[in-house]
Amino acid sequence: MEKGAAFSKEFNITAKLHSEFLALFEDNNPMHTDTAYARKHGFEEKIMHGNILCGFLSYFVGECLPTKNVIILSQKINFCKPFFIDDIIDLRVIVNDIYESVNLVELKFKFIKKSNLLLIAHGKLEIQILK
Amino acid sequence: MTLTETIQQFNTIFIDILDNDDIHLEEDTIAEDVEEWDSLTNIQLIVAIEKHFNIRFTADEIDSYKNVGEMCQGVISKL
Repeated sequence: MEKGAAFSKEFNITAKLHSEFLALFEDNNPMHTDTAYARKHGFEEKIMHGNILCGFLSYFVGECLPTKNVIILSQKINFCKPFFIDDIIDLRVIVNDIYESVNLVELKFKFIKKSNLLLIAHGKLEIQILK
Repeated sequence: MTLTETIQQFNTIFIDILDNDDIHLEEDTIAEDVEEWDSLTNIQLIVAIEKHFNIRFTADEIDSYKNVGEMCQGVISKL
């Protein structure tokens, strides 16, 4: 990986993904499960759990980089806009910096809703390439 | 920058990264002296130091430092 290298990956927010996230983590807050409740609070639909995106980050680091010898050391994510079932979201990642002394790569990422190019979330990952 | 000043700045970085307000670094401090300073946090410490002083180490330089004082001297030599 070189500084400035870019990657992208598309993810579908399916009803199955939503229901499995609910089953796994049991966060059944009505904002995530009750459309009427979500609408009452200003959203167009029940909103997806922001941490679904963290699962996508895990998939990206584990499966989409040129090497499998990698671990996540730190992660910061800012949630900007809600997303909903049936949204298609692009993850766009760029290598922001490389610290060769410790084989650490700093990645900046953005999640962008494909239908209207809204920024859903952005942040930074620090990963280590293991020898 | 003097060695004392550099150690003071290291101390602030270590407190922040290791989340331990009781850290008091000395020239001869080594990883075994600080409970939270392990192989993983060492990476975060080195990156934080490189960012703070706007310098870069090589892997060989990191391997050569035997204590905090030597690493601080390494920083001073790059400023």
